[in-house]
Amino acid sequence: MRGLQLLLVSFAFAGASIDAQEPADPFADLTDSATAEPAPPKRSFFTDNFGFRKEIMSEFDSSDHGQPASRQSLGFEMLKKFSSGTSTLASFNFQGRLVRRDGFQPVLNDMEGETRGGWAFEYHNLYLDLYNLFKNVGHLNFRVGRFYVPFGLNLQTDTHGTVLQLSNEQNLGFERDWYTGLWGTINKHLNYDAYYLAGSGYDLKYKGQKGLGALRLSLSNKYSSEYGLEGGVSVMGGERLSHDTQRPVETRRVGVDGRYRHTAGPGVVTFTSELSAGRDVPDSVYSQLIQTEYLHGSRRWGVATQYRRFELERMGTDASIIGEFTWYFRNDVGNSNLHWIKLNVERRLQRMPGSPALVVALQYYFYR
Amino acid sequence: MKRAYLFLTVTALAAQQGFGAIGCTLSNPAQDLKYLYPQMTSYKEDLNEFPRLKDGASLFKALRERLGSDLDPIYETYETPYSVYSVFEGQTKIGIVHGVNVPGKGGVIQVFLSTDPKTAEIKSFFFQRLESPAARALKAKEFRGQFEGLTLGDFYKHDYYAAVSPGAKADKVGAIKPPALDASGRPDYEASLRGLRKNLILLDFFVYGRRFEPFFERAKQAAEKAKAGKE
Repeated sequence: MRGLQLLLVSFAFAGASIDAQEPADPFADLTDSATAEPAPPKRSFFTDNFGFRKEIMSEFDSSDHGQPASRQSLGFEMLKKFSSGTSTLASFNFQGRLVRRDGFQPVLNDMEGETRGGWAFEYHNLYLDLYNLFKNVGHLNFRVGRFYVPFGLNLQTDTHGTVLQLSNEQNLGFERDWYTGLWGTINKHLNYDAYYLAGSGYDLKYKGQKGLGALRLSLSNKYSSEYGLEGGVSVMGGERLSHDTQRPVETRRVGVDGRYRHTAGPGVVTFTSELSAGRDVPDSVYSQLIQTEYLHGSRRWGVATQYRRFELERMGTDASIIGEFTWYFRNDVGNSNLHWIKLNVERRLQRMPGSPALVVALQYYFYR
Repeated sequence: MKRAYLFLTVTALAAQQGFGAIGCTLSNPAQDLKYLYPQMTSYKEDLNEFPRLKDGASLFKALRERLGSDLDPIYETYETPYSVYSVFEGQTKIGIVHGVNVPGKGGVIQVFLSTDPKTAEIKSFFFQRLESPAARALKAKEFRGQFEGLTLGDFYKHDYYAAVSPGAKADKVGAIKPPALDASGRPDYEASLRGLRKNLILLDFFVYGRRFEPFFERAKQAAEKAKAGKE
C-alpha cells in the first residue's frame, strides 16, 4: 500500500514538472468571446452581389476541303442578385458578345453562325430567376428568359466558351431557347425542371409554332457529391421552328443522360453520354453522344474525345469523332476565371448533306 | 450532420442553373442549407471578390501571409469569387456557410464550413467535392467532428505552439488526430487542413470584421520572441 502511495505521489510530481516546462500562455489576455457581427459595409447596386466578367474569344478553323473561317469576339457576362435583409430573392444574368465572322465552318460551338457573317452583336444568356416562391424554400423557383434548353445535360453544364458541345444544337437546331417555368427539388433524390419553350432558338419569335413543353427529372446533388454521378431523363413535345426552313415542326423527344466523374491518378476522368429518340414528324430522330475527358490535377491541361451521331429519317446521318487538347493558363474551379488555348480536331464520318471531312479549330479564350 | 453532408453539392464541373461566374458555391443552396439547418426559414447569399473589396489587394496579400503558404495560381487567384451564405430563422441569423477550393493530389478539394454567427466557432466541417484516394478516411465523421468548436484563433495559436511548445495542452489544433492514411493520402490531409484554415481566414475577412487578427499578431510576435530567446 505504501508503495502505491509513493507511485501516485511520484506521478503527481512528474505531471507538475511537465506543466512547469510549458512557457506562459502568450494568449492569456486575448479572448475570442462572442461579439456582435460587424455591420456589412454599404454597397451600391454595382458592388452588392454584382458579378461582371469580360470575355475574349478568338477562333480559327479550316477543313481539308479548304473553307478557312475566323470568328473573333469581345463579350461580357453580368450577374446580379437581389436580396432583402434575410433572403436572396432573385437573380438576373445577361451575356452578350460582339462577334466578327469571316467565312463559316459549322464547328460545334458555332453551328448557328452561318446566318451572321461580318459584324454581329449576339446575346447568349438572358434570364431572370425568382427564388423560393411562396416561401417554399428549394421546391419552387421561377425562371423566364433565354438559357440552355432543359433537355439532356446542357442545363447543368457550362459550355459557353468551349468548342466541344453537347447534343442539343444538332438534335433541335439550338442549344438555348426562350422559355419560362419552374425548377427545384422534388425530394432528396430528384430535382425537376418544367418549362414552356418558344421553340424558336436564337430569336424570340412566333411563326406559327405552338412552342414546346419540356420536363426534366435529374438526380439530386447528393449523387454527384457522394458518387461523382449526374444524370436524368428528359421529355419534350410540341412544335418548334425548323432551323433550316423556319417552319413549324412537330417535335417529340425523350432522352436519358449521365455523367460520371472518377479520380484517376493525378487527375480526374469524366465520362458523359446523352441518348435520345423521337420524331420531327413524320421522320424519326435518333441522337447519341459519348464523351471521355481527362483533366490533370493541376488543372493546367486536359484532353477530351467525343463521338456523336445524329440520324434523321429520309435525310441521313451526321456522325463525327472529335479529339481535343487544352492548355489552361487559368482554370478556376467555378469557371469564373478562365484562360486557355484549345486545339480541336473533328473527323466528320458522315454528313447530310456533304462528304466526310477533317475540320481543325484553334481557339483562344479569356474570361475574367 | 451526416445527412447534411450527403446532400451537399458539386458545382465545379456543373455550373448548374447558370451561375458559372461564381466560385465555390452550393448549386442548390436551399436544399443544402435546409439539411444543415432544418429550422431555416430563409437564406441570403453574398458574393465577395477581392478586386471589389476595399483594400482588396492588401487583403489578398494578407491571406497568403495568414495561410503560411503560397496561393495556387490556378485554384486561388485574386479574382476568385466567394459566396457566403447566411441562414435565418425568422429574422434571426442562425448560421453562416462558406466554401473554398484548394488543390489536392488528384484535383479539387472543396472545403465547406458552417460557423456560429456570433462566436465564429466551427459548427460543422464537410467536403463538398474531394477528388482523392483518401476521400473515405477524410470524410469520416469521427475525423471531421474534431473540428467542431474551433475558431481561427485556435489555428493561429497552433502556429505558436507548434514552433515553441509542441504538444502543449492549450494547442487544440495540435490535438487533432488525423485519420489512418497511407503515404498517398497524406498530401490531401494536409491540403484539407490548409483549406479549412483558408476558409476561416476568408470568413474573418468577409464576415467577422477580422476579430482574430490579435491572435495572428500575438502568435507571430511570441514565436519570434521565443526564437530570439533561444538564440
